[in-house]
Amino acid sequence: MTAALFSIEGLSLDVPGRRLLDGLTLALPAGQMVALIGHNGSGKSTLLKVLARQVAATAGRVAFNGRALADWQARDYARALAFLPQTTPPAEGMLVRELVALGRYPWHGALGRFGPEDHAAVEAAMAECGVAAFADRLVDTLSGGERQRVWLAMMVAQQAQTLLLDEPISALDIAHQVEVLSLVRRMCHAQGRSAVIVLHEVNMTARFCDHVVALRGGRLVMQGTTAALMRPEVLAEIYGLPMQVLRRENGEAVAVPA
Amino acid sequence: MSRTARIILPLAAALALALWLAAARQLLPWADWPGWPLDPQAMDLHQILLGFGLMPRGVIALVAGAALGLSGAILQAVLRNPVADPTTLGISAGAQLALVLATIFAPAMLDQGRWPVAMAGAGAAAALVMAIGARRAFAPVTMVIAGMLVGMTASAVATAITLARGEYLLSLVIWNGGALVQQDWAGTRALALVLVLGALGAAALARPLRVLSLGAEGARGLGLNIALVRGAAVALAVALAGAVSAELGLIGFVGLAGPALARTLGARNMAQVLALAPLIGALILSVCDGVVLALAGAGGEMFPTGAVTGLIGGPLLIWLLPRLRGSTPPGTEAAEGPAPRLARPGRVLVALALVVAAMALLLVWIGRVPGGWAVLDWDSFRAFLPLRLPRLVAAGAAGAALAMAGAILQRLTANPLASPEVLGVSGGAAIGYAATLFAVTAPGQGPLTLGTMAGAALALALVATYARRRDMPAERVLLAGIAVSAMAAAVLSAIMATGSPQSWQVLAWLSGSSSTVGPAQAAVLSAIAGAVAAAAWLGRRWLATLPLGPEVAAGLGLPLVRARLALILVAGLATGAASVLVGPLSFTGLMAPHLARRLGLARAWDHVLGAALIGALLMIAADFGARMAGFPYELPLGLFASLLGAPWLIWLMMRTRR
Repeated sequence: MTAALFSIEGLSLDVPGRRLLDGLTLALPAGQMVALIGHNGSGKSTLLKVLARQVAATAGRVAFNGRALADWQARDYARALAFLPQTTPPAEGMLVRELVALGRYPWHGALGRFGPEDHAAVEAAMAECGVAAFADRLVDTLSGGERQRVWLAMMVAQQAQTLLLDEPISALDIAHQVEVLSLVRRMCHAQGRSAVIVLHEVNMTARFCDHVVALRGGRLVMQGTTAALMRPEVLAEIYGLPMQVLRRENGEAVAVPA
Repeated sequence: MSRTARIILPLAAALALALWLAAARQLLPWADWPGWPLDPQAMDLHQILLGFGLMPRGVIALVAGAALGLSGAILQAVLRNPVADPTTLGISAGAQLALVLATIFAPAMLDQGRWPVAMAGAGAAAALVMAIGARRAFAPVTMVIAGMLVGMTASAVATAITLARGEYLLSLVIWNGGALVQQDWAGTRALALVLVLGALGAAALARPLRVLSLGAEGARGLGLNIALVRGAAVALAVALAGAVSAELGLIGFVGLAGPALARTLGARNMAQVLALAPLIGALILSVCDGVVLALAGAGGEMFPTGAVTGLIGGPLLIWLLPRLRGSTPPGTEAAEGPAPRLARPGRVLVALALVVAAMALLLVWIGRVPGGWAVLDWDSFRAFLPLRLPRLVAAGAAGAALAMAGAILQRLTANPLASPEVLGVSGGAAIGYAATLFAVTAPGQGPLTLGTMAGAALALALVATYARRRDMPAERVLLAGIAVSAMAAAVLSAIMATGSPQSWQVLAWLSGSSSTVGPAQAAVLSAIAGAVAAAAWLGRRWLATLPLGPEVAAGLGLPLVRARLALILVAGLATGAASVLVGPLSFTGLMAPHLARRLGLARAWDHVLGAALIGALLMIAADFGARMAGFPYELPLGLFASLLGAPWLIWLMMRTRR
């Protein structure tokens, strides 16, 4: 058993009038594809943003690779961890190659030379995500699925061992959903990376992820393997709705509202 | 209504009454007050001053304040925008410009009174801002930027005309400041009628407006005729604001403060806000006018009341900003469709540089002489070069500095409408300039430059405190800048209203002129432009990443707060330095980065450099135009540039997204 990727203790986050995260204590395993699931407003995206240091927690401790979040320098953190926001911004006038090259910022900084290893990392990232074919096209002219792969390539170029993704498939059709999640899974299992990914779709979670953390109202409901997730009583507790679990011919579980 | 409201409102009313009574008692002891109804035949001079001066003045403050509060409440409701009001949407400035134009070019139009002219101006400005807003789904920040730019342009043109025909227009200048002085009851009666009609209209609109507060889609789903309700509500608000403008002049921010304070005091639904906002507006204007009366009684110095409300308005806007909900649909604040991208930007940049050099040379060489144009021979060229070169270099450097500041701000905020004018730095610079004029006896160029830079730096510091907050979206930093500009405008109009010799100097500087530039100033400006370019080169990776938004930039390990502060500082210093020469308004900082982007200069450094070259080109051309158009007299440089820039800007904002 390796050390935990993230260890979270008593994490709470308040906004005026509401508590988004309520005393979370858990550890996320390294080297796996971890799904954060839950109903709308359950705090899953908020938790991911806390892990990405996009928002600050009100109370509690979070450590990444054994070091408290506040102790990391911004660029060191970006070298270790890459974050993809839920809605990727328009990249006005930017080529695919340039956007992917921005992933090198944590390595060369504002003034450092863009050296051969940076070029190599960009090329490798574009090849890994299958976007090398349109390296010299404008990002904004690509389709939704292609664009999402470009952003993933930027994260790969960042050469971070941990990827945080906030609903990366919410705007994609089902074929592209499978394509993007397969890519993330390959990045985890073949390259030894860790991923924490917010997902809405419980069947996609079961099919692609290794480990599940479920939140409800800012509190932890369950965490464990996907097999532990796909049980009617567990799903009912997470989503507050009776769920039925069917078996496919190959034994995979599929959940539908009962 | 909350308990606070029940305490504060009567207190404010008592204060307003006490201030007015103090002024009235000073004029005339209680025992000599005229009886009712007023009969001028039977009254002595002091009684007439009271009955036909102070009394209608006290009433009109209440009526006008109520009208403005109602106008602001309606605009905020219909646009779903908590910082909308007749001032921020440019409506009052439109009325002002129409009156100035009519006074100069068609005085006969004013025979029917000021009302039709002011209404037409207010309506035209509102229509323009609404047309721009409609293209952008009435996105709040874009609306306010459009409104403030339309307003600033209208004020700039009005200022220029005032400058050109100065001696005849002093009364207009005072009117611009919003003085509440009355000579009879006619204005009060007319405004009261407008207010009653407006209140009836607002009562009829209260329920549709409440449905509209769900948003256009939701309201349409409930069967509301959106266009009709929007049109009627805006027309009503414009009529109210236009009437006040026609009668009293520019009285800023009462329309902003009324609804804002109504909400703070616990008005929750539309009906409560519509009822409470006019009441609060009336009290605000009354108290402000009472303060002006008290000051006038003590020092004999007349400040127009509108300038005082403007002074309150700036800080109020800044206080309101963090409360502005970020409910803008993504993408609606953005500009038109994708701009082209050049494969080889280097060639275009070199070509631009050559054009700048050729243009500068050409413009030194040719000039106007009495009776026609002349190309200089070699001897005259050598003689004229030391005279013409410094101002050409200074104009080019100022244009380049403004353009780079604009490019940096547009990239920082990912908003193509950002520009130094909008950042408030120009307004701060203007205050610094004016303050130096009043503080130092006959200041030279050195103290003036220092004072202007200090003013710019102060405005910058104010805006930068906003940028420090990580959760503050960049476009709200723009709004903070707008608030600073508004405050500066209020102070300036107060200075204008004094009619002192310094005020004419400020007025002249406001339009910008390069006629007094020496080689030293040209060298300093060039050095500053060079330093800004160097800073932009050093920050080019920040400038490339920041348009992607704070989430991505922070995710890549960018020092977000430090980067924003550094870039704002660079942009602010560039603006402050250039403003000394060009004046606070030129639109170069808006136009040049845009042109560069439309030319296909997409990468951060190409964009900044291209903008700098285009900015230099624009300003050199504007300088030439300003010298030649009115030969042998010189037109103000900044004014000439903004007359080029304003139509471009409006065309730009009217463009649809492809």
